[in-house]
Amino acid sequence: MSDIILEMRGMEISFPGVKALDQVDFTLRRGEVHALLGENGAGKSTLIKVLTGVHRPDAGTMLLSGQPIRPGSTQEAQKMGISTVYQEVNLCHNLTVAENIFIGRQPMKRGRIDWKTINRRARELMLRMGMDIDVTQPLSAYSIAIQQMASIARAVDINAQVLILDEPTSSLDDNEVVNLFAVMRELKAQGLGIIFITHFLDQVFAVSDRLTVLRNGRLVGEYEAGAISKLELVTNMVGKDMNVIYNLQKAPRPDEAPVVLEASGIGIPGKVEDISLNIRKGELLGFAGLLGSGRTETAEMLFGVVPVHQGSISIGEEPLSLRAPLDAIRRGMAFCPEDRKRDGIIGDLSIRENIALAVQATRGFMHPLPQKEQQELAQRFIKLLSIATPDADKKVGELSGGNQQKVILARWMATNPDLLILDEPTRGIDIGAKAEIQRLMLEMCKEGRSVIFISSELDEIIRCANRIIVMRDLAKAAEVDGDTCTQADILAIIANEGEGEEAAV
Amino acid sequence: MPDIHSRTLGHRERLRALLTNPRYLMVYATIGIFLLIYLFGALLYGSKGFTSVRTFMLFFSDNAYIGISAVGMTLVLITGGIDLSVAAVASLTGMIIAYGTTVLGLHPLVCILIALLAGVGLGALMGACIQYLNVPPFITTLTGMFFARGVTSLISRESISIKHSMIDALAGFKIYLTWPNAQGEWVKIKPVASIDLNTIAFLVVIVIGAIILQRTRFGRNVYAIGGNEQSASLMGLPVARTKVLVYSFNGLCSVLAGIAYVLYVKSGWNLSLQGAELDVISACVIGGVMLSGGVGYMFGTLFGVLLKATIPAIITFNGAMNSWWAKIFTSVLLLLFIMIQRAVIASSQRTRRK
Amino acid sequence: MKKAIASGNFLRSKLFWAIVAELLILLVGFILRPDFLSIQLRTLSDGTTVLFGTPVDILNRASEITIIAMGMTLVIALGGTDISVGALVAVSGAIALKFLRWDVLVYNTPGDYTVQPFYLVILLPLLACTLMGLFNGALIGKLKIQPIIATLILMVGGRGIAQIVTDGKQFTTQYTPFKFIGNGSILGLPLPIIITLVVVLGVMLFVRRTSFGMFVESVGINPNASRVSGLKSGTIILIAYVLTGFLSGISGLIYASRISSNDSNNAGLGYEMDAILAVVIGGTSMTGGKFSLTGTVVGSLIIRTITTLVLYFGVVSEAIMAFKALIIAVVIVLQSEPVRNAISRRRDRIRTQMGGEARA
Repeated sequence: MSDIILEMRGMEISFPGVKALDQVDFTLRRGEVHALLGENGAGKSTLIKVLTGVHRPDAGTMLLSGQPIRPGSTQEAQKMGISTVYQEVNLCHNLTVAENIFIGRQPMKRGRIDWKTINRRARELMLRMGMDIDVTQPLSAYSIAIQQMASIARAVDINAQVLILDEPTSSLDDNEVVNLFAVMRELKAQGLGIIFITHFLDQVFAVSDRLTVLRNGRLVGEYEAGAISKLELVTNMVGKDMNVIYNLQKAPRPDEAPVVLEASGIGIPGKVEDISLNIRKGELLGFAGLLGSGRTETAEMLFGVVPVHQGSISIGEEPLSLRAPLDAIRRGMAFCPEDRKRDGIIGDLSIRENIALAVQATRGFMHPLPQKEQQELAQRFIKLLSIATPDADKKVGELSGGNQQKVILARWMATNPDLLILDEPTRGIDIGAKAEIQRLMLEMCKEGRSVIFISSELDEIIRCANRIIVMRDLAKAAEVDGDTCTQADILAIIANEGEGEEAAV
Repeated sequence: MPDIHSRTLGHRERLRALLTNPRYLMVYATIGIFLLIYLFGALLYGSKGFTSVRTFMLFFSDNAYIGISAVGMTLVLITGGIDLSVAAVASLTGMIIAYGTTVLGLHPLVCILIALLAGVGLGALMGACIQYLNVPPFITTLTGMFFARGVTSLISRESISIKHSMIDALAGFKIYLTWPNAQGEWVKIKPVASIDLNTIAFLVVIVIGAIILQRTRFGRNVYAIGGNEQSASLMGLPVARTKVLVYSFNGLCSVLAGIAYVLYVKSGWNLSLQGAELDVISACVIGGVMLSGGVGYMFGTLFGVLLKATIPAIITFNGAMNSWWAKIFTSVLLLLFIMIQRAVIASSQRTRRK
Repeated sequence: MKKAIASGNFLRSKLFWAIVAELLILLVGFILRPDFLSIQLRTLSDGTTVLFGTPVDILNRASEITIIAMGMTLVIALGGTDISVGALVAVSGAIALKFLRWDVLVYNTPGDYTVQPFYLVILLPLLACTLMGLFNGALIGKLKIQPIIATLILMVGGRGIAQIVTDGKQFTTQYTPFKFIGNGSILGLPLPIIITLVVVLGVMLFVRRTSFGMFVESVGINPNASRVSGLKSGTIILIAYVLTGFLSGISGLIYASRISSNDSNNAGLGYEMDAILAVVIGGTSMTGGKFSLTGTVVGSLIIRTITTLVLYFGVVSEAIMAFKALIIAVVIVLQSEPVRNAISRRRDRIRTQMGGEARA
């Protein structure tokens, strides 16, 4: 038997409108931690879903220990020895830790479940992972870290050969991460192959033996962990959209203009800490940083989606207390969320209704926009943003991703905001739509509005922003000038190679 | 509640662990409030016999049919579902037995067999409809209730009394409680108290239900489905089979409840047990079963039934109050328990340990 | 609408199938008894002319459920349910009769009604039911308690309240203005039908002329996105339950007037079930989202038509439930997702096959 445990060759899969995986190869050896890297939409999760039987590939072969496999469901994959531990742990919170490890395969004694053995063995398993806990307590009583350990314990005890850890560290603190790594090394020594997905580059180098980088559904390369620098890695991961032909004219940096919004030291313990920032009228403030670096959390705090635990926000001179997004909207703010499906579109409602929604929310339902005005509003934005639709009464859920994004943008532009926060507005949409959205942002700045623009793509941030805040590890790492900085500067800060810290504001 | 603590713990630690386990908080609340209300009744009407063994035994025998049905309902609620058809199926059972024995002259056992087939069959059908056609449990079982009620009325609209030696024998079965008097002879206690068949059936079904829930894979799968159906499915548990079985089991319990009711009133009537499904559901809720699924114990349901039984008892002993106050007090209790549940959930979320 | 029919969406909609079902049931009635669909104008002994006939009777008798189902539609579109409406119907009747028979209840001397002015007899029950709706709405919208269990409280307690209001007694009233609500007619049209029309139109106008309907659907479809867009879902939920409480009050008055009495045990019995079914048959999904008030009206009519049809053929009234259950089961199974998907897949396949042949 060779030491290659899993081999995927020429994997291909298409979804309506996108080629999610295009000729992707992936090899996993026995006893190694193999990091799978790439920004959102790169194809990591699709690859994992193919491997675990959620999606059927259009083409390609998978070999597990040399045998071709074609799992049809997660359960089937599990039986073959491929187990996944997700970030949002897929266990039952109402059951005890011990039971979660053994449910469905409980040891029996005289036809009845043998709880003593379950609890003893569960305790042993958890102890082996360095977790000295009471396994008879419900899972919900414990932190995510322990829940993940229970999930890993279950997978290992079921006799997994391949263990997939999908973003396991995003909600762990430093000690928990160290502990997890110890467990990973231990499992590795036992001969398991571990696929490790994360956005934290330090962690990649700390624990991985090899790495595979994907971008836009294609394989960028496979590297030995020691043979690639962090900077190279970031450069490989981050997309460059050189195809944009539009010539964009950035607005001059409005240093004299009044400050529109100021946040000092805002944070939520464990999520983001101590963020201070300000934005001036007519300014475009960029937020760079990898996914999971705290960008989205900051935006959500500014808009009242999540409550601010520390620090304060003020608009102009007045302090701002946010209980719900409506408070922010009433103060002239707008927010295009990152997760379009979950927080953005109302799928079954028409384009017209989706566009009118935020305006209507500020007016209250007793003061409806007349049907005619709604129609005009919708038509105006359909034309302005060139939303591809036969009419305004089509359901938003039936539009393509780019057009959905434009509808959400229209919803907020209709409220005539002073400050617009855009979280990854260009992700997963085609080049043309991307360029239009960038052009729109710059136009809004020229009209005297302020824009906070969050993106994983450095090119577009540098092209548009006057000032850029770089986030790293749930905190603000640096603030750089959008006119003078280069992609290399920002990459260096994200990769934490020292010199970025004191960059000029 | 089973002992799920390791052998290494001493009795004292074990007891302390049991008492401080937040999972049982809701059950403790039920027992605590039961004791409070019982104490309240004892203080007010102790002299009238509220505290007698006889009264206490009546809590069981008068509510056996609710209790038996509540066992099946507890399973359904733990999966996160609901079953509104239980009272209608129990009423149908009563009608089948009454019509079968009195009008058709069949043996009661034959009638019971027919009722079992009908009840379990309907349960399985509803379970399949919920699982495979994605029709919400509320709607499915509501339709099932209409159907069972309608069929009952099709059989007969008259209240049919049952005269059969076997039914009489079963209904008349009693074990009188005795104690030794001064001379050391065993005599019946005063006022006379007895254990009847319904009480025994109630307790046996509760114990069986508890064993199913705590000691079988099926029972644990029920909890897992209620906790997170998607996770349960990802963990490879037989979700579909379990759900269909749960509704079938509940159908079985409804039929058993119907038999208990027949022994209690010795007749069948198409309008009997109107709205009793709500008594069953509220007994479960008061017993700490959560309608959102995943949480509940048979032990809690037992006390939920008893707690609900004390209220009409107190009102009867009072004599001056009208019986409808029982409904008001029950709904106040419901409100109280919903608030307790919310508080327990909120506090358990706060005290998440690292 | 025309566009929808042309695009084939209407054929796939639940409302379409509900209308087909209603027409089929009517057709069955017509085939079995040709006078099933006849409508006549009759003159009563007191000289008034009234419309008579089964269709009129169906509309008349569907009033109580239709009125409640208007509110229930919004509640269900928000992903909830209200099972307390039947109990609220009983409370409404009890309060009305209490004030109509103040003589017996308070002065203990039977005479005619004594509370003046009359409008209090109408307003107080409505106020009480609205407040109970507020109780439901506060628990669900503000305290985020599961709808079934929150409304279970009043479902259990409501009938107790009704009995306390009237001291557990049942009264009858001969007061003509009150009896007129359920038994009178204007221009030949029974008053309950007119009240129902007013309510249906009123709710439709409220929901579609303001943005309330859009907010309800938005919260029902995607609560997260609705919140980010600035909607206050708690308040919207609260209003829906308050409205349902108020409408249950109206329904209760019609019922009490019909029987000229209060009946805390049987008034509104099973209404919650009928109303929920009417909504679901009408095409509003129990999981919330888009709703159709027109569909609900059709759903309510289906339920009533089945009842009338079965009664017409001499089946005992209690047994109607079995027929109702069968027909509803068929409708629900046909509307269920897997079945609808299977049907539309099959039709697509046939269409592509036919297309293929045409090309060949």
